[in-house]
Formats: sequence, structure tokens, C-alpha cells
Amino acid sequence: MTRYIVRRLLAMPLLLLGVATAAFFLSHVTKADPLSAIVSERQMNNPEIVAAAKARWGLDRSVPEQYAIYIGNLLQGDLGTSFRTRMPVANDIMARLPATLELVLFAMVFGVFGGVALGIAAARWRDTMIDHAARLVALIGSSMPVFWTGLILLYVFSVALGWLPGPGRIDARAVPPAGATGFYTLDALLAGDIDAFLKALSHLVLPAFVLGWAVMGVISRLVRGSMLDVLEQDYIRTARAKGAGERRVLVVHALRNAMIPTLTIIGHSFAYLITGAVLTETIFAWPGVGSYAVDSARTLDHPAIIGVTLVGAAAFLLSNLATDVAYAVFNPRIGFGGADG
Amino acid sequence: MFRFPAPRARAALAALILPLALAAPAHAQTLVIARDMDVNSLDPHRGFCDTCQIVFSSVYERLVDLAADNKTIIPLLAESWTSNDNQTVYTFTLNASAKFADGSPVTSAEVKWSLERLASLKADPGFLMDGLASIETPDARTVVITMAAPNSELLGILAAPYASIVNAKVAGAAGAASGAGADTADTAESWFLANSAGSGPFTLAAYAADDELRLARNDVYWRDAPAAAEVVIRQVKDSVTQAQMLQSGGADIAMQVDADTAAGLSDPNVVVSTVPSFNFVYIALGAGAEGMPIKMTKPVREAIGLAIDYEGAIDLIVGGEGKLQAAPIPNGFPGTENLPLPKRDVEKAKALMAEAGVAGPVKLDAVYPSVNVYGVDFNLLMQKVQQDLTEIGIELALQPVTFPVWRERIGATGIPVTAVYYAPDYFGSGQYASFFGLYEGSPWYNRSHAAKAEDAANPNMAEKMAAALAAPADKVDAAFHEVGMEMISDRIIIPVLSPNLILAHRANVEGVRYSACCNLPLAEISVK
Repeated sequence: MTRYIVRRLLAMPLLLLGVATAAFFLSHVTKADPLSAIVSERQMNNPEIVAAAKARWGLDRSVPEQYAIYIGNLLQGDLGTSFRTRMPVANDIMARLPATLELVLFAMVFGVFGGVALGIAAARWRDTMIDHAARLVALIGSSMPVFWTGLILLYVFSVALGWLPGPGRIDARAVPPAGATGFYTLDALLAGDIDAFLKALSHLVLPAFVLGWAVMGVISRLVRGSMLDVLEQDYIRTARAKGAGERRVLVVHALRNAMIPTLTIIGHSFAYLITGAVLTETIFAWPGVGSYAVDSARTLDHPAIIGVTLVGAAAFLLSNLATDVAYAVFNPRIGFGGADG
Repeated sequence: MFRFPAPRARAALAALILPLALAAPAHAQTLVIARDMDVNSLDPHRGFCDTCQIVFSSVYERLVDLAADNKTIIPLLAESWTSNDNQTVYTFTLNASAKFADGSPVTSAEVKWSLERLASLKADPGFLMDGLASIETPDARTVVITMAAPNSELLGILAAPYASIVNAKVAGAAGAASGAGADTADTAESWFLANSAGSGPFTLAAYAADDELRLARNDVYWRDAPAAAEVVIRQVKDSVTQAQMLQSGGADIAMQVDADTAAGLSDPNVVVSTVPSFNFVYIALGAGAEGMPIKMTKPVREAIGLAIDYEGAIDLIVGGEGKLQAAPIPNGFPGTENLPLPKRDVEKAKALMAEAGVAGPVKLDAVYPSVNVYGVDFNLLMQKVQQDLTEIGIELALQPVTFPVWRERIGATGIPVTAVYYAPDYFGSGQYASFFGLYEGSPWYNRSHAAKAEDAANPNMAEKMAAALAAPADKVDAAFHEVGMEMISDRIIIPVLSPNLILAHRANVEGVRYSACCNLPLAEISVK
């Protein structure tokens, strides 16, 4: 297994280089001029200003030249400077990634545990009120737009009831916990600041719930379907005939096999949310990678677009690897291929 | 209808959640503003945006300022000034008490360095220094600015936040350069994203793009200290979220609450007021755009102007919170008094179309940026215009696009009918004449492709603009009135509405006002 993981990890830089190349040329295919993100309306009419801006940002060079420079810098870890924020793209991403990861991790915990529990319950008590209720929760979670759910929940719990704080990672009047990870909850805990931890956690509750609910809906439906299939299998009947308790039958025998197809969705959802939680980030004023990606695309911020694409690609590659490893853990019959398979 | 849970259930839910609830604000003197920030640089001589105006005018100071009446120029770093008769030479005397945040005095050398830097960086706000001939510094407190041509608006320009005076020693040590070659020699832009070097009431404490910007009170400020010890501008894109933050106390001021959301804000802790703004939204016609089935002559353009239901647009698009505007110069700016406001007259419009020989339905492309700016949803605006123009036989093919795509299209082939917006860069009407005037080489001369049209170029415009800039103070209004009339008669730029500005803040916040130069003067705001 270790060799398999190492081999996959070693292949990643090459794949990412391919992604960067594709993203670079795709972002240059559009006819629109990225200068519009750099030079104001009035000055676009001024050839001297336009020439100075092109020279400053390297846009006066041919596309192949720009590509060679970009790849050269990329190999040294330099993702370029954002046209929009005027900051190094690597810094921009590193500033936003912890916020996104913290949100997505909490959302996934809620979505996965909630979804699996709902799916098991729905399958175990098929066609009962429990099943119907679980399906309704799943349906609402996966069909209601997150911006609507977000606004409603914000109104109810923050404005009307005052139980939870409003948007943002932490109250604007509070000092954000300083720490190495950038995860406010973890940094606060590491610093022993329980008050800051609770504040950061309270800000996570609503956006993580909204984001996780959509994931939960999909997972619960998938787990229910898989569980219903598995519960019909002979080995489940055998387990029951041998006197295994219902909980053991469900969790140990049935769920282990029912989880295989679900793992793909979990891995895919995690990777997707790294750059795809835009609406949640917008409603909850969450300074994450998703809204950075959208703003970059909207303004033709080429370095930022490529940078975010690389992050998204890395997230998918890593989540695919984790999913493949998890397959083997849940079902030892699935090997890793190759000599150590 | 939504109903809150029963009391017992609420209590149980509260017991679960309350430990997580946010404690009361710890810093009462912290002013929190919810805003969709559009910062493109925090270097005052490079940045060019609405948020930049707020930040630059709080961190840096200019020679002069614009008074609360949004008309009168008042002293700031300069305690007095004079100009020669033809308004080419302006002499300023600096206030001896003025000092930067590091305690060093503001001298004429810093003024010269800063304004020359603004002129030489070849960045967005550099046009403000167009026509600058020289800056002399006879002594530490005297600055003599000489312009190549008369400029009656120089004081308004110098009141703009982009004309900020920067501590040359501090910024210079960080790589800032001024004068010839500064556009390539200057390397300070990234430094300005984390630091400031001004003499204003605040200093830049921290900035995280797309997240928040923090200002701290300048403890050695040379004039009255601001009430707030700290200002936090929190990035909040959504209008409804901004309103909710205001209601929950998460923000003290929300700057982009739209009219519909504001109408639903019935909270005793929130004050919502509307004031006329100097922003406006306009329809622009590409007289020489390619691919039109008709010639967009002046009668056709006039017919389009007459077919638009301006009052209806204000009601529909901004819920009545807007004003009519006559010319592409905002209401209240020099020369706008008594300009004829636009009025709908469909019969006259039809007659003009007939006179132009345009019969039957005509299809025109209407490419526009798909944005929501100043509370104006451009999709809704263009749908309204589309509906109005069908009455005179014009069918618009609406094509919402991103801003970069719109720019590319309008520059390459032109766009028959489009919509755009404008906010003032400083207090003065010259910026509008130079941007919208149909004289050769102007931005809208190029964008409307006027050179390819028979009657779009305005041969009087350049002369009228120069005359207005050379006019003595008592004749400036009359001169710009003529400029405004010329632009109305061009029928290329058709202002549809000037949206009111919605100022929403907590009831315990005082001193919130709209400034034509600086947007929101933070130093005047206090939290009680």
C-alpha cells in the first residue's frame, strides 16, 4: 500500500503541470483583455498607460513567452501576482485555504455522519415514518439552494433569536486567534483560549450546517440504497441466523459493504467544496477559496485563475487517492494493483 | 408562514446553542462597516475605487478638502491658497502643525514628491495631474503648482483622495519612487497593502483582501482625534447579509443595502436614510457600431432617448429611490442647475423614427455588463429599456456579459445599445466632459465609434470644455451648463437615473454622511 501511495504522490507534480498548462492556455483563449482588471475605464483610452500596464504585468510578451516565464516561476513555487489583489497568488491562496478547509471539514463531518446515520435509519425502517422523514430531510438538503437556506437560517438564528453570530469567521470586533494552522478553532485550542474557540465555533455552525446539509442529502440517499441492497444479501441472512445482534448486523456486516460506493461521493464532495462553496462563502462572508476563484474568473485574473485551478486539481487528486485507499480498507478484496497489490 | 418553536422547545434549543453564542462586543470604540470592497490597490497614487476613496481619505490627507455641503473647498494640509487670474498658477501655504503619523512634519517637499509621483506612476488616477507643468517649493511651507493650461477645477482635483500627500521618507524607504521613470522604478505597491505613510486620522493596521481592512486611530493626529479607536471594514458582498449584520449588531454601518432590502428593514435599532448620490446609470448608443441594420443618426438617437420611461425605470429598478438626471454630469455638480430633465414622449419619438426613414421592427444588439451596481440591477434596467423601445419599433437583443468581455466588444466593433455607470473621481464637471464629450480621442468618442458615424462627433465640445476650465469662478457654472447642453444634444450618452444612496446604520452611530470626494468620512463617525 505504501508503495502505491508513494507512486501516486510522485505522479502528482506531473499531472499538476499538465493542469497548469491547460489552464494557462484556456485562460488565454478568451478574447477579453485581462487589462480590464488592471487599468481603469478612463485610462484604457490612454495608450501610454496601457503600454505601461502591459509592460509591468508582462502582457506585452507573446503567449508562448508568458507561458515559459509562468512555468519557470511555477517550478520555483511562484504562482505569480494577482492582477486583482496585487498580492502573490500563493499568499492569496494560503490566506484563504485554511478558512475553506475549516469550513469544509466541519461541513463534511456533519454531512457524512448525518448522512450515514439517516441512510442507515431509512434502510432499517424502510417505508415507515422514519424512512419518510429521513428522505424528506435529505430531499430538502439536496434541493434547497444554499443561498436561500443560508439567508433564512441567518435571519432566524442570528437576527431574530440572537443565538448565533452573523457572517464572518469571527466577530469583527474580536481579535482573530493567531496560530500556525489558520484554522481559528484549532489555533484557539492550541493557544488555550476557550473563549476564542467558542466564538470561532459559533461562527462555523450555520455555514457548516448549510453546506453539510446538501452533502448529507446525497450521502443519506446513497447509503439507504446501498444498505437496502446489502440487507438482502445471503451473508446478512446468515449473520442474523447465527444470532448476530441487529446493531452488529447493520454496522459491522451491512454498512461496511454499503459504504464502498458512498466513499466516492464523499471524496468527490470534499474536493468539490474546496473551490465550489461559493454561495455559502458569499452569504456568510467567508473569505475562502471559492469566492476568490469566482472573483478571479470574473476579472480575468489569469495568475489567480491558474492558481485556484491547481488547488482544485490537487484537492481532487488527493481525495481520489484517499478514496482509493479507503476502498481497500473497507473491502480488502480490492487491491492496489502492481507487485504489492 | 414561519413560526418560531414553542417556548419549551426554544429553551431547549437555546440551551444547546447559547454556549456558542457570541459575547457582547468587547471593543465599544470599534466601528464595523459591512461593505463589498472593490480595492485594487492601497497605494494612494495607484488605487482607484470607491473603497479606496474611503480608505485614502482616512489614512492620508490632501492639500484641501471638500466641505460637508459637497461644494465648498476648505483647508486641510494647506491653510490658505491663491491663484493667478487665468488659473494656471496656484500657491498653497501649508499648515505648520501638520505632521505625519511618524511625527515628522508635512513639508512642501512631500507635497511636491507626492503629486509628482501621482503624475509619473502611469497608474489609474494619474489623469488627475494631466496638464501639470511644474511644482515649485520656495520654502518648507509654500507649494507653487503651475498648470500648462487654465484649470478652474484644480482645487476640486486636489481634494480627491488620490491626490494624497505621502511621507516620502517612509514610502521611499519601502521602494516608492517619484518623477521621471517612477513607473518602472517604483516597487512599493505591495508595501502599501500592509502599511501606510500618511498624516490622516487613521493608519492602516491590517488588510486581508476579500476579508477585512482594519484602520487604527493615529495617536499623534494633528487635528481633532477621530472618535473611533478602530475601524473594521468587513467584506460582505450580499446586500441582504449586510442588512442582517446591521440588525444583529455585527456591523454598525452597511454601505450597499439595496432599496428593496432597505424597505423591509423595520428595526428600531437601525436607521435607514436615503440621500441623492452623484452616481448615475446611463444608456450609451454606439453611433458607429458595426452590424446595425440602420444608421443610428441623431434623430434615431433622439427617438431612443424620448422612448425611455425614466420615471418608470426609477420606480421599477430602485423602488423610487432615484433621481432624474439631465446630462452625463451628476446633479449638483457645476453647470447642472436648470438643465432640461429627460421626459418620455413616445409620439414624438415615433415621428423622429419616421423622419429618419426607419420603418418596421429593427433589431439591435444590446450588450451590457451583467452587474448590480449602486443598487441597480443591469438586467432589470435593460429589460425595462427593451420594453420601452418596442413602442418605437426597436427590438433589443439583450446580451449580458462580464465586464472584460463588454470592454473587448465595445472597443473592437462597438455596441449599438449598452448600459454603464459612473461615479465621480473628484468634485468637478471637467471629468465628465473629458470622458463623455464627443471630441476626437475622448473615451466615448472611441467607444461610440463616432468617427464612423455621420453626426456623432461634436465639433464644439473641446472648445467648450477648455472654456469651462478657463472660466473664472463666477462663470464656471454657466460654462459647464453649456458643456452639459452639448452632451445632451449629442444623444450618445443618455442618463437613465441617479440612484439614491442608502445609508443604513445602527441607531447609536452618529456622523454618517455621504461625501462627493471621499464617499464616507470615517473620522466624523462615532459610536455612542
